[in-house]
Amino acid sequence: MSGRPLSPGVVARIEELWTRYPHKRAALIPALHLVQADQDGWLSAEALRATAELFDLPDQEVRGVVGFYEMFHTEPVGRHVVRLCKTLPCKLRGADALIARIAERYGVGRGETTADGRFTFECFECLGHCSTGPMMLVDEERHENLTVGDVDRVLDGLE
Amino acid sequence: MSAPAHLRIDGHAVTVPAGTNLIEAARRAGVTVPHYCYHPRLSIAGNCRVCLVEVEGVGKLQIGCNTGARDGMVVHTANERVKEARGGVMEFLLINHPLDCTICDQAGECKLQDYAVDHGTGVARFEDGKVHKPKNVSWGEKVVFDSERCILCTRCVRFLDEVAGTPQVSIDERGDRSTLIVGGDGALTSPYQMNIIDICPVGALTSRDFRFKSRLWFMRFTETICTSCARGCNVVAGSRNDRLLRMVPRENPEVNDHWMCDHGRLHYAFVNDEARIVTAKAAGRPLPYAAAIDQAAQLLEGARAQGILAVASPFMTNEELWALKGLCDALDVKDRWFLKPMGEGDDLLVHPEKCPNARGAALAGFVEAPAPPPTPTCGALLYVAPREGAALPPEFLAQAGKRIVFSLREQEADLLFPLTTFLEKDGTVVSAGDRVQRLTKGITFDRNLLAERSVLDRIHAALEPGFVAPETAAQAFARLAEGPAAFADLTWAKVGALGTPLAREGATA
Amino acid sequence: MLEHAGDPAQRTLEGYRRHGGYIALEKALRTMQPDAVTAEVLQSGLRGRGGAGFLTGKKWQFVPKGGSKPVYLCINADESEPGTCKDRQIMEHDPHQMIEGALLAAYAIGAGTCYVYIRGEYPHSIRATEEALVEARAAGLVGRDILGSGFSCEMWVHPGAGAYICGEETALLSSLEGGRGYPRLKPPFPAVEGLWRCPTIVNNVETLACVTQILRRGAAWFAGLGCAGSAGTRLFCVSGHVRRPGVYEFECGKFTLRELLEEFCGGTNTGRPIKGCMPGGSSFQVLSPAELDVRFDADSVAKAGSSLGSGGIMVFDDSVSALDVALNIAEFYSHESCGQCTPCREGSDWVKKILLRMARGRGTAGDLELLWDVTRKMDGTTICPLAEALVWPVQSYLKKYREDFEAAVRGGATA
Repeated sequence: MSGRPLSPGVVARIEELWTRYPHKRAALIPALHLVQADQDGWLSAEALRATAELFDLPDQEVRGVVGFYEMFHTEPVGRHVVRLCKTLPCKLRGADALIARIAERYGVGRGETTADGRFTFECFECLGHCSTGPMMLVDEERHENLTVGDVDRVLDGLE
Repeated sequence: MSAPAHLRIDGHAVTVPAGTNLIEAARRAGVTVPHYCYHPRLSIAGNCRVCLVEVEGVGKLQIGCNTGARDGMVVHTANERVKEARGGVMEFLLINHPLDCTICDQAGECKLQDYAVDHGTGVARFEDGKVHKPKNVSWGEKVVFDSERCILCTRCVRFLDEVAGTPQVSIDERGDRSTLIVGGDGALTSPYQMNIIDICPVGALTSRDFRFKSRLWFMRFTETICTSCARGCNVVAGSRNDRLLRMVPRENPEVNDHWMCDHGRLHYAFVNDEARIVTAKAAGRPLPYAAAIDQAAQLLEGARAQGILAVASPFMTNEELWALKGLCDALDVKDRWFLKPMGEGDDLLVHPEKCPNARGAALAGFVEAPAPPPTPTCGALLYVAPREGAALPPEFLAQAGKRIVFSLREQEADLLFPLTTFLEKDGTVVSAGDRVQRLTKGITFDRNLLAERSVLDRIHAALEPGFVAPETAAQAFARLAEGPAAFADLTWAKVGALGTPLAREGATA
Repeated sequence: MLEHAGDPAQRTLEGYRRHGGYIALEKALRTMQPDAVTAEVLQSGLRGRGGAGFLTGKKWQFVPKGGSKPVYLCINADESEPGTCKDRQIMEHDPHQMIEGALLAAYAIGAGTCYVYIRGEYPHSIRATEEALVEARAAGLVGRDILGSGFSCEMWVHPGAGAYICGEETALLSSLEGGRGYPRLKPPFPAVEGLWRCPTIVNNVETLACVTQILRRGAAWFAGLGCAGSAGTRLFCVSGHVRRPGVYEFECGKFTLRELLEEFCGGTNTGRPIKGCMPGGSSFQVLSPAELDVRFDADSVAKAGSSLGSGGIMVFDDSVSALDVALNIAEFYSHESCGQCTPCREGSDWVKKILLRMARGRGTAGDLELLWDVTRKMDGTTICPLAEALVWPVQSYLKKYREDFEAAVRGGATA
């Protein structure tokens, strides 16, 4: 899987983003989100080079921006991305047990993708749902006040 | 021009323009504030935190590089509080640093080593696993990168962006996983890229050319000038056992600032070329110098009537050119040329004249050879061959009567004498911008080799009894100073390590 | 601020207007000079709600007057401080309150563009804010010549991509400009040289919601709530070992922390005694059980050696080892350190490694002194306060729960 050049639809949306800022470069991170979403949830070297070219930036400069932020993937991911919070409030409400459960039931540790490609599991730092933890984001859906049963149910149900 | 600020640094009173950063202000007070990421020619990064100093009245320690001098400031750069903080920063820098000193080329000129000794805590308390990163990463043919040694000061990033104009290096990852990456196919393209090796305070960036060649403390360092073009970038030549191992730039605000181009830096193999001739030769066979000099004198005397053509090289020093001039004067030589190799220049340092002393040749009374040169009619040719880039064509040489040639390598001649390279002599050249600069002798290529200046002076002496040749560089230079007005008032000492401008009158472009 | 958060219609422009929405904006644009808006906010005593607690009106005044460069407003919706989930409530349930406050702020400082920097992990907040902006723009409340007043202000949502450090205002600017989220050297300060070197004010979401309330109901009303140093109402998130975790809005200075935890939040959900409470997110000192009787307001908590910070109150009971808590916190900061400057880049991971080793039963007696000294050398030597955000809590755990660390050294692995 080597990625693709940018689709015309994405380019059009990026061009619209440019109108929001006095300098094109400011649209880089919103643009990278669009590119990633358009290309199976990850940013290939080819996609990054195409984005750098579009923004008239050195290609390694764009790679360096991508490498700073948690939400960007530079390797293929599963069909879904599961982000479970491991920070203090969620830990206090049992996140550790859920991490262990996921490892045991689905065979994935932090940053790993299930063998069947259904999901990539990531332990994230504070996701901002501290009063309703433990919590996980599955793509853009959230699941709060998690029990082991909840985790099983949600993750089993992913296609 | 901003208002003056009077401040006290470690008890020394010093006055600097308000806003001057404290590292520079301290320097003027004779105080050195250690630093890594700061460089006077690059934007401020403020990330290494080594230059922390105490400013009275300000609670937290401040980084000297980003603190501007204000009138009345009192600064401490070496009290207990600062020393402790600095020791802390040094300790942090060392905890993940690989113990590469024994195999790292930077040893001996490494600021991490130096500051660890001067400012470090002297004890290693880190017992956990060091972070591992890529090592021995090629950044092209010239530069090698070691990410574990890198302290992320970003000097290289800023240099390539701000000075070289090729922003090809960026930081990737985050936190202590941060590392440097190169764009495109992973190879730097700037013709000035090797300057990042000099400005890297540690051994993260090293020269492939110099890799594992020698330890610094076995080397001899000579301050001289690069001779690959007319710019005359100031350099330090590092040699060992009379062979040149590397060249690095030397700071001269009037010429090359802190930099030199990669071509000049790497172009020195000719110095060490074992194919160089070291004896005089007649028709291809070695001849003792005394005999060769006598023969040359007779040959030239004999050709006087028909005419002698002298062709100088713009790679000669002024002193050598004056020796040749003296000989030509003694022989009433009318036609005096020099050959000037040309090429591309750029808008940074590279000059289109690919020789160090075309100006000196002109001041010594030589004119640029017509191109192409007309069929020779001289009885004898006295020819100092340029090191490279320009030469008298073979057909010309074949018809030039008796040929006395000075050359680095073997070539056809009736009498052949060797040449020395720039590192084998004291002398001066006139660089672009009409600046007289010094070459300094650093090696003796071969003990049997008699330098061209001596040969020319001895031929002169054979033709003109009573001629006394100057011996030392200073004496040879004094002979020049009697010449064109351009050299008036100059002495060898005055030229100094950084050179000095020629007088306006008589100077050339 | 959360008065109408329970009403799903509050998200819509129509619903917002029904509860007095955009009246303050209209009043300000039609009848007040920008400086008068600033004066109102100053008078109210409003302090920033992002964690630093700086007087909001005073910050606005740092924008130089009469400059030729455009002025920018940024809403810091990066909310990533552990324990904090309050800004999200405003964005998801009452985004117009934030938008109106931003427009008022923009008017006061002369900003023609406002960027809402929302952390990338908040898709619901991003969606809700974007939808609200679509409505607002259509109603002429955002964009050119707002309400025919001559004042123009564009507003755009700008997503982050997962980096806690982007909540630091200068790092936010670096990120918004399309770069790595590196904090910047100060001076210059953002109010003078921020986005693209133009004057920029960065305000927290809750702060701007307060601005709306202040301009709607008056500075005197706001100043009359709460107590000295903590005017108005504040949002707090309570999490961890409590029976009733959640986001609470109340006046400061009316009760103690213990009363808040025991009475309002129902005490621990485990029945075990409270062992410690971090009152303001993970970047400040923990308060031990003996210290919970502090009156719950900014000045009192500061005097007690901690801070209200971002309002993230985390509680743990005595089943938890302080070592584990400290380790979790150290893991957070070492993971989030941007890596720009030496002491934080190297020191944060060193602290984590020592604590991890201790938690695995391989700590030594010297490790406690080592931790203390390493953290001490990170304090005050860095570009931004992330180093202190690690140092202060970890040192407070070492000091107040030394027995937990010593027990680990003696041979009890806890992790």
